[in-house]
Amino acid sequence: MQRKYLFNISFLLSLLLLVGACKEEEYAIPTLRSEFQNDCIKRNLGPNLIGNKMEFAYAMALPPNRGRILSAQVEASIAGAPGTYLENRSFHTDASRVDIGVPIGEPAQTAGKVTRVDFTADTSAATLRYYYVIPDEARGQQVSFTFSASSSTGENVSYTMGPYDISRMDIALDLNVKDGETSYISIADMAVYDATAAAANADKIDLVYLYRALPNISFAHALVAPAADPQYLPEVTLPAGVNKNTRLRKAWGLRDQQLARLQFGIFIDDLDFQQIDLSDAPNYGINMRAESGAWVETADGRYRAYIFINAVDNANKSARISIKRYAL
Amino acid sequence: MKRYLKLIVLCLLAPLAWVSCKDDFPIDDDGLLITKRSQCFVSNFELLGADFLTVRSKNPVIDTVACTIDVEVFYGTDLTNVYPQFSLVTDAKLDPKIVGKMDFSDLATPKVFTVVSGNRKVRKPYTVNITVQQ
Repeated sequence: MQRKYLFNISFLLSLLLLVGACKEEEYAIPTLRSEFQNDCIKRNLGPNLIGNKMEFAYAMALPPNRGRILSAQVEASIAGAPGTYLENRSFHTDASRVDIGVPIGEPAQTAGKVTRVDFTADTSAATLRYYYVIPDEARGQQVSFTFSASSSTGENVSYTMGPYDISRMDIALDLNVKDGETSYISIADMAVYDATAAAANADKIDLVYLYRALPNISFAHALVAPAADPQYLPEVTLPAGVNKNTRLRKAWGLRDQQLARLQFGIFIDDLDFQQIDLSDAPNYGINMRAESGAWVETADGRYRAYIFINAVDNANKSARISIKRYAL
Repeated sequence: MKRYLKLIVLCLLAPLAWVSCKDDFPIDDDGLLITKRSQCFVSNFELLGADFLTVRSKNPVIDTVACTIDVEVFYGTDLTNVYPQFSLVTDAKLDPKIVGKMDFSDLATPKVFTVVSGNRKVRKPYTVNITVQQ
């Protein structure tokens, strides 16, 4: 009796497995949507810095037998700085990964917050790129974008992007410092000065760059606060009034993409400057190497910055630096 | 049939009984296993700067008899913010624990770390002597 039940149960279970295994999901060709459609992506990464460009790709299409695109426009919540534009070429990428642009209309017209392109080409699909140059007015605020397009069928589509946080940071790229010449760094001005200019802007000089090849000591390229122990400023005569006690902490492996422009996807953002504690940091950093950096806090507590060493040149006793700065 | 069922149940229960009767391994206050090892020494010592790169100018000299670690650091090292790292013999632990950066700037008063053996019965205080490259 029991054996009979066991056989029955086994048979039923096998049948169930058979049914499950044989089930096939049939592929159905997606139905073509006939309405006017649009889509958008943001193409750049990292913090949105004043003066930098935010880049978008806006795509719009409708079936060719229904009509053509008449216009496309973007409205930003804060008007872009000069240089903001919507491409009048529709881009696609070919098999060699080269962007190919096909003109679809006259160059874009910008009026206040709105940038618009009127199509002259008879096309039912286009992908336009939009470059928004971040204005100073947007510092610390949020900005959003409304992309919209109209077609000859009378349909209008729109796509909202954002809001995006606009950074409070400033950036200065590729400042050349040279020992004994342009060796005075001002975080307040995001600039480097020689001794004469440093004397004229003494209250703004935060760091001194120097290069020393000392026997038995790894000194090399150094960033030193003017108020540091004189042993870290060998043979340096500071201009009158240059005496700030800037704090800095060396960093390694922090190759911010916007400063280094290398392949590393690392970004220093406002939050990093807000949270870093440099209260116990020293006022000197010696033996700095290429692709290293230093977190800096000015003596008056007004600014925090990250100085990245893009390149060093021992023979010329010089270096190329880039700075991100955050006003506290 | 009934006999087969009984056998199956017995086979399933037997491992359970064996597992439940096994003794627990002893652990210490930190939840670490107390073993039978009595070895107690430092095998390597590292000192990292705020940029997480070594600040040692040469290999450390570790005397496991005198229980000293002599380290020379680069000129200009900020000793107020360094991260020490000890490599210990298997199962040993360090007291006090290292939980972050430490201040080694008081060269006249070297820091002392105690190595505790795996059986937690042997304790050896190691003194870290730091000199700065000149």
